[in-house]
Amino acid sequence: MNKLKLQCAVLCALFFVALTSAYAFVDEAHDYAMEAATPYVEQGYTVREDYWNGEVESGQKLAVRHQLFKGNEYAFWLGTANEDCELELAVFDSKGQPVHMERKTGKFTCSVRVNPPATGTYTVVFSVKSKKERGVTWALAYGYR
Amino acid sequence: MKVKTFYLFASLMLAGSAFSQGTAQKFDPAQFPGYVMDEVVVPVPSEIFAVLDKLGDPNWKDELRKLSTPDSSDRMELSLVFGTVVAEGFVAVQAQDKQAVEEIGREVINIAQSLGLTKAVRPHAQSILDAVQKDDWKAVRKEFDQTQATVRAEMERMRDNDLAQCVSLGGWLRGTSSATSVVSKAYTNDRAELLNQPMLVDHFAKSVNGMSDSAKNNRLVTAISKGLVTIRKSMDSPDGSFTPEKINTIHTTCEELLTLILQVKKSR
Repeated sequence: MNKLKLQCAVLCALFFVALTSAYAFVDEAHDYAMEAATPYVEQGYTVREDYWNGEVESGQKLAVRHQLFKGNEYAFWLGTANEDCELELAVFDSKGQPVHMERKTGKFTCSVRVNPPATGTYTVVFSVKSKKERGVTWALAYGYR
Repeated sequence: MKVKTFYLFASLMLAGSAFSQGTAQKFDPAQFPGYVMDEVVVPVPSEIFAVLDKLGDPNWKDELRKLSTPDSSDRMELSLVFGTVVAEGFVAVQAQDKQAVEEIGREVINIAQSLGLTKAVRPHAQSILDAVQKDDWKAVRKEFDQTQATVRAEMERMRDNDLAQCVSLGGWLRGTSSATSVVSKAYTNDRAELLNQPMLVDHFAKSVNGMSDSAKNNRLVTAISKGLVTIRKSMDSPDGSFTPEKINTIHTTCEELLTLILQVKKSR
């Protein structure tokens, strides 16, 4: 009985450690996204406190629908904590046409800028593809000016 | 601070990518092989106000209103009030009204106290007051954004998702009310286009629909649910244009709902 309890405790501890590390990596992905945002902040962009993040299968495509306002300029920053990844990031209008400009990539980041041609709903599509790992972390943040 | 953390390991087909050949071509939602996330980031009022500033020079002092902390102990009602108070903070920043920002900063602490979130909010409130003293309006705006995000994150952490939605909803109603007021005072098509936000209204309507029965039965939430239907109808525009009448309908509906929210004190 005691042995069973011990096994359960060890399993619980391992699960907790695994969960904690997953969260840590996801937060690290956000740190990289913020690193990509730094030069934009110097150009007068305000970074939103809210962001999206998570862990997905490598290469899994994700999309976020987002409200943009004509007259503002927007920048989106995608970050990952996984090494040797290929990051993709694009923004489309309601008719499915790409509207993003100035795509920049770094070792752990990808950024695009958008001047929305109209106020309305846009779709941000992105993915993180790893050569080594099955699961990848990601964080997507945005700013405006 | 995070809106939503996604852990998704379902294997989905990856053919027909929006990134075909390494560059973005066209996005077809019907053919999209990936996962479209439900979560929506609600814009902060200053994101909308920034556009209005670029299109003219609104008198933001005219848009400011006096607020008082309600006596209510209902956390749902307090969450709605909290959202409106933070949005009022954004209006005060636009107006660069030091005294108003300081008063709103104190209101923020009062309501946070009633919601049991003093510890999380106090550092933000202090930073707001410090930044006001330095005339650092950009920092004040950032702190209001962080305050709202912190409160929502705390509520989500405590599994109070309905309350977190109420914070966003209260903020959006107050932001939309002041934006429509500014647009009405100097109507142009470009300014009116700012109200083309059907996705946000759909998001709020869905949030309210997904609330617990006790939340949905709250008199304010019921009124908001009805108001959102009216607002959504006014946003039906094939070309994204908005007549002064439609702007007026959206404004009046927001005002009526805000009156209900801020009269919590009087009705108890």
